[in-house]
Amino acid sequence: MHADTSLDPMRIYRAKRDASHVYVKSKYNILGFISSGTYGRVYKAEDASGNLHAIKKFKPDKEGDVVTYTGISQSAIREIALNREISHENVVSLKEVILEDKSIYMVFEYAEHDFLQLIHHHSQTLRCPISIPVLKSLIYQLLNGLLYLHSAHILHRDLKPANILVTSKGQVKIGDLGLARLSAQPLQPLFAGDKVVVTIWYRAPELLLGAKHYNNSIDCWAVACVLAELASRRPIFKGEEAKLDSKKNVPFQRDQLLKIFEVLGSPVEKDWPTMTYLPEYPSLKRLDPYPNRLFDWCQSCLRSQSGYDLLKQLFMYDPDRRLSAKEALEHAWFKEEPLPTANAFASVSPSQIPPHRRITQDDAPSMSMTIPLQPGQSGNAANAPGPPFTQVLSGSSQQAQAQAKSGSHHTGTSGSLGDGPTVYAQGHGHGTTKMRKKRRL
Amino acid sequence: MATDFWASSHYKRWIVDRSTLKQARADDLVYVPASEYLDFFTIYFANLITKLCKKLQLRQRVVATATVFFHRFYLKNSYCETDPYLVLSACCYVAAKAEESPVHIKNIVTDSRTIFSQPPYNVKHFPSDNSKLAEMEFYLVDDLECDLVVFHPYRTLLALCKKESSSSASGGNADMVGEEAEAGELGTGIGAEDGPRYWGTGEGKLELSEAALQTAWFIINDTYRSAICLLYPPHLIAVTAIYLTLVLHIPTQNSIAHLIPYSPAFNPDPAIPAESSQPTPQLRRSSRSSDSSSKQAQQDPIDFLANLNVSLSVISTIAQEIISMYSLWNRYSEEPTLEEARNPHIAGGIGSGTGTGSGSGSPSSAGAGGRMEDLFGDGTGSGSPASHTSQLGPKSGSGNTPGSLGGGETGTDDASSNSSNQNPWSFGQGRLVTAAFLSDMLNSMREARMSDMAHPSSGRPIVVNRMLERTG
Repeated sequence: MHADTSLDPMRIYRAKRDASHVYVKSKYNILGFISSGTYGRVYKAEDASGNLHAIKKFKPDKEGDVVTYTGISQSAIREIALNREISHENVVSLKEVILEDKSIYMVFEYAEHDFLQLIHHHSQTLRCPISIPVLKSLIYQLLNGLLYLHSAHILHRDLKPANILVTSKGQVKIGDLGLARLSAQPLQPLFAGDKVVVTIWYRAPELLLGAKHYNNSIDCWAVACVLAELASRRPIFKGEEAKLDSKKNVPFQRDQLLKIFEVLGSPVEKDWPTMTYLPEYPSLKRLDPYPNRLFDWCQSCLRSQSGYDLLKQLFMYDPDRRLSAKEALEHAWFKEEPLPTANAFASVSPSQIPPHRRITQDDAPSMSMTIPLQPGQSGNAANAPGPPFTQVLSGSSQQAQAQAKSGSHHTGTSGSLGDGPTVYAQGHGHGTTKMRKKRRL
Repeated sequence: MATDFWASSHYKRWIVDRSTLKQARADDLVYVPASEYLDFFTIYFANLITKLCKKLQLRQRVVATATVFFHRFYLKNSYCETDPYLVLSACCYVAAKAEESPVHIKNIVTDSRTIFSQPPYNVKHFPSDNSKLAEMEFYLVDDLECDLVVFHPYRTLLALCKKESSSSASGGNADMVGEEAEAGELGTGIGAEDGPRYWGTGEGKLELSEAALQTAWFIINDTYRSAICLLYPPHLIAVTAIYLTLVLHIPTQNSIAHLIPYSPAFNPDPAIPAESSQPTPQLRRSSRSSDSSSKQAQQDPIDFLANLNVSLSVISTIAQEIISMYSLWNRYSEEPTLEEARNPHIAGGIGSGTGTGSGSGSPSSAGAGGRMEDLFGDGTGSGSPASHTSQLGPKSGSGNTPGSLGGGETGTDDASSNSSNQNPWSFGQGRLVTAAFLSDMLNSMREARMSDMAHPSSGRPIVVNRMLERTG
């Protein structure tokens, strides 16, 4: 009697849904491949009316050669869920999500540049600093977007140059909410599920010292790192990440802390009374003391008293004394000439604006491209701009593929529930390091 | 913003009206003898979600989110065209992730199979293959339009009320205590500028005994067994739960009785006295007698509610819907009736089954989270239908049918009780509907639908679902 329904009770539903499905390829024209990362690949695409989009395709899970479902990753769920609730001019907007053929496609608005590409353009091509009007506008808009996220109780937890995009009209867009979390009344504490957050160079000292409870101020620390990196065109605290051991214990990040202390001096209890309670405090005490030389550091880069003051206050060791996004936006630096502009490139001559994002042929095509690439474009990998959403390697898809094949931390992680984000942060710092070395050759 | 309800996807896209609800069930209505059965399905599946989540050791907020997902999914789909067991399993899977408490897909599949295959559900077709659930997850997230952040009344409850400082009550609900601890865990810098969230006079939160706070919490849990979470914003449901606690939780009732003036001015809205003051005669009597015993200066809960700046007539409507849900739930049983036990093949035999419902189990297993009614009064007689009837029954006044309680708002219920009277499948007042019966009914609905789809010339009306159009 029930044999019919037992076979597939969802038959009617499935047929209806599949019949009404709009396929990615029927709606978007894939123009080329932008970058790949732990989670999958990002493509440049245009819709029927010619609007540009970045389509992030999450890797399907594989068991051997067979593509299987093991469920939508925690990171994708977060990114989808949070993006559906927010809307702000300085945060990348999610246009739609298409679920088809065991893959998730997130369609974002397109941004031509990102902070990493901008830094690279100035250090490699123009060989000059990013001008103060541009720098100030970028940071102002970044803080503006961050203030929005924080007032929506969203912690970004992965701010870094590669995740901060800029449109061709000079508008900053914070991207990649894959590690972001709602901080208001969490059902699980923040540290549950993600032992490691924020790429090592941008990780706040309380996180490096093992704090389990943290807040918005970790994002503000990252903003300070980004500000310093834009000003000097190199990461200010370029430490080596100590890897998780086989039991996934988080090690003491000695090198990263030393890189911070070399510029900011060693933290003292007077300035940060609660640091003595942090798990890694005993290890911290064993490190040599360093003096603060942030002022000297700023002399060569920022050349502004109030700019130095903003950086100093964002680099407060004590998270409670660190400037919030709101306080930072009200800082005197943004009120003195040159004032920040809505178009960060307003003061830049067209020839100085970084070139458009390079797109290449997808080496491991998981989406067929409809427009053939111009000759010579795919061989140019090393000069290609940084990744917009993803972290590992930019331009060179060969490199990305090679790394994805060789590095065990790049495979098979996107579907796992618990430790995906942990591996993400770890693999990420590692990948970035490699990329930088490659570029500076 | 993710914490501003008025800017949320929940408010903008998922608060619907009654006609949308009715429309959503139109296809199913063709295959059931009376629309009331569809309301029983809501209880049936909400109980199952609770059961599955408890087995997976998920917290109440995950249960709530999963149930909301389930309700939302069936705004666009029909029971008869889907496998609700697979859907509810996927709802729990996605909700666990959305609430940052992920569980492995294998565990969900295993526990779903275990629970569903047992009596009274006897569902043997749940796929053992993870990929079937993962595929359902895709369809589900798509049908949910990727809106995965859900607001619940619990937050408002804890923002409006606090435990009496002198409370000596014990045996707290782990969920509730945990929730409070989490709120305190926020740390500095987060929401510091938000301040405490309550409306009104700003004089502070309403102090309730721990037991009363629990009662309100349990009432909120129970609201997920109806479509209330689709019809009203969560803060209004929370206020209603507080109101019902004040009215129905007997110790609380007694402790505040002296503060409640016996006058028509108690409630300017005619809808409320019709339902609240009338069914609670104790409240009136004690209001005079216990004046002398009033201890210290107490908050006036009436003032508190009045100052919340919410529409009290909406609150009274929600209160009526909650009571309708309870009276329906009183007639639902997870245990088989005697007749069913004797002859498991006559599902329809329920209609003439144990009339009074005495002696059959109340949804005890589903009530693992604690059903509100169990807490009323002295707290004895937990789970037995007799105690429900004696405590809630009289309070519901003369009209114990959902229709009469619901007033104009529940016109559909009126229609359903009318139609059920003319139907050979009808069950009278107080007749029980069992889980096994509903499980069988669902199978026949699906079979009938399948054969109708195979032979579309059957003349059944074809219904257009409005919720489907907006995804197109």
